[in-house]
Amino acid sequence: MDLKEKLVILADSAKYDASCSSSGSKRKGDSIGNTAYSGICHSFASDGRCISLLKILLTNCCIYDCKYCLNRRSNNIKRAIFTPEEICTITINFYKRNYIEGLFLSSGIIKNPDYTMNLIIETVYLLRNKYHFGGYIHAKAIPGANKNLLNKLGNLVDRLSANVELPTEKGLKLLAPNKSSDKVTEIMSYVNNNRSTKFVPAGQSTQMIIGATDETDLDIMNKSENMYNRYKLKRVFYSAYIPVNKDKLLPSINTPPLIRENRLYQADWLLRYYNFKVDDILDKNNPNFNLLLDPKCDWALRHLDEFPKEINKCSYFDLLKIPGIGVTCAKRIISSRKYFSIDFKDLKKIGVVLKRAKYFITCNGKYFISNSNFKKDFIEYNLLLEDNNSNNSSGKQMSLF
Amino acid sequence: MIYLYKENFIDLLNLINYLLKNKVKPENIKNEIYMKTLLEETYYPVIAEDKNLSERIINKIGIESFLIVYYVFLSNADNKELLIYKYLLSSLKYKNKIRFMRNIDCVNECLKISKYVKTEAHKFKGFVRFSELDNGVLYSQIEPENNIMLLLCNHFKRRLKNECWVIKDNRRNLVGIYDKKECYILDSDIDIKKFDSEDYYEDMWKEFYKTIGIKERKNDRCRMNFMPKKYWKYIVEVSDNEKSSV
Repeated sequence: MDLKEKLVILADSAKYDASCSSSGSKRKGDSIGNTAYSGICHSFASDGRCISLLKILLTNCCIYDCKYCLNRRSNNIKRAIFTPEEICTITINFYKRNYIEGLFLSSGIIKNPDYTMNLIIETVYLLRNKYHFGGYIHAKAIPGANKNLLNKLGNLVDRLSANVELPTEKGLKLLAPNKSSDKVTEIMSYVNNNRSTKFVPAGQSTQMIIGATDETDLDIMNKSENMYNRYKLKRVFYSAYIPVNKDKLLPSINTPPLIRENRLYQADWLLRYYNFKVDDILDKNNPNFNLLLDPKCDWALRHLDEFPKEINKCSYFDLLKIPGIGVTCAKRIISSRKYFSIDFKDLKKIGVVLKRAKYFITCNGKYFISNSNFKKDFIEYNLLLEDNNSNNSSGKQMSLF
Repeated sequence: MIYLYKENFIDLLNLINYLLKNKVKPENIKNEIYMKTLLEETYYPVIAEDKNLSERIINKIGIESFLIVYYVFLSNADNKELLIYKYLLSSLKYKNKIRFMRNIDCVNECLKISKYVKTEAHKFKGFVRFSELDNGVLYSQIEPENNIMLLLCNHFKRRLKNECWVIKDNRRNLVGIYDKKECYILDSDIDIKKFDSEDYYEDMWKEFYKTIGIKERKNDRCRMNFMPKKYWKYIVEVSDNEKSSV
């Protein structure tokens, strides 16, 4: 099998992993390669996802038989395995041409977890020490492998990840009977306890598949919040379930739940940067996100008593609660209003999305819309209308009926 | 009166300093290659170069506010010189607070333009595509909106420090050259013809690119938002078919 064919097989098997970020590391490098702290996207695939890293599996041979996975043992597909040298050669040659920021190396489980982990370590070790590669490396930690191996790998890479795969142990038992969430959390807690500028400098991340089992958004977000708090994860990725296998235990759907996935990402942002708690945005009576409105708008409409907020007075965290104002804008408002009093036309210059924010704010006591319209129904109707207009790709007036 | 300067940043700062000092309000400021119309009058004042001028400006308005001026200078904005003049004029009053004064139109405009230049430079750090010439030199061509050559060279000389590389800006006939030691930026219209032999790794990259997209999630609009067509020309993994179909 030639190298190109291997690459196609092992990239095809790796593509369902959502992570491709190359941020969080300040590696300087002494020969070829360094990292950019903010990360750099090098291309965008036909599905619109960023390509930043050479995302491949070391092998798609696997001793496990997880129901949802393309590479499960019982599937009759072409199998391949890279040698460590082959991976290094491709990485260096892609890097030199500026196609990538580095390598994202994952693998099916071959023989046993330790054996697999050793192959990953050998590859990354070669890349760092024989090829003197200073670019970004994200590697998968194999659950169940020896702690010493985890320690070795962590000292070579920028980011480590271990996928929880499914939000609950029950789901995991059902669809991935060879895996257990304990082994994943063991990795997370080891990495968290040992993290330093030398050991996994860009932190760890994980991924959950959305819609393969019957968890609610509340279950999923609780799991995320818990992991952010306990293990200081950098990111949780959500991957809409795509049916690649037929199995009676799997749901039968035609299209992946992409809107739901988007809502989870938006909510994830609210947790990490906007000081929201899961309890604020979901509860037992509303365990799933509104598919029509983003979680922040939805929250604001359910808490209209907290609005309108005065742009020139309210705190940074209050600014962040206003739909249409993000982290950058909130910071700009804080730094600007020290020097001048902000009115509506300044907000536009600052970059606030007024078509959302206007219902929720006052500037020097003035309300943008008439007071009598400060009602949930009116605002909700207009927000939905705005969204539909901007989603209309042709730019034509949408047809209302 | 339209005032002229030699096409470099220091010369522009000197001219603006001269205008401010003499309390002259320019109708416009343009670089010396500007083609004036019949009704316009141009003037090219002889100014002795003030060696410490940029340092003094930095001391007064702070490096962040000064960098905004520099990025605006690198931009392709039509009226950038006049904008810089207005910004520096306002900075006499607001000093190091100037970059927070978004309610002043010229400041807001400068902030927007400098952001645009920085964003474009960041995008090109990803979108530059080198091909390996027979002699091992890495060669790439770009056509950015703004003059981001220096920003790119600074990036690649840290990243590919043991390689020889050339970046050619076809829009400005500028080249950035790095010889494993120093980096030079020169005016040049060299055109390196692409060698005939296929690049094995370029082919491989194209295959990788085709494979990595998930067909059940195909989303052209999203891809276009992040990687608009204007960048496609030298992006090798976008197929010729796609390039010509739009």
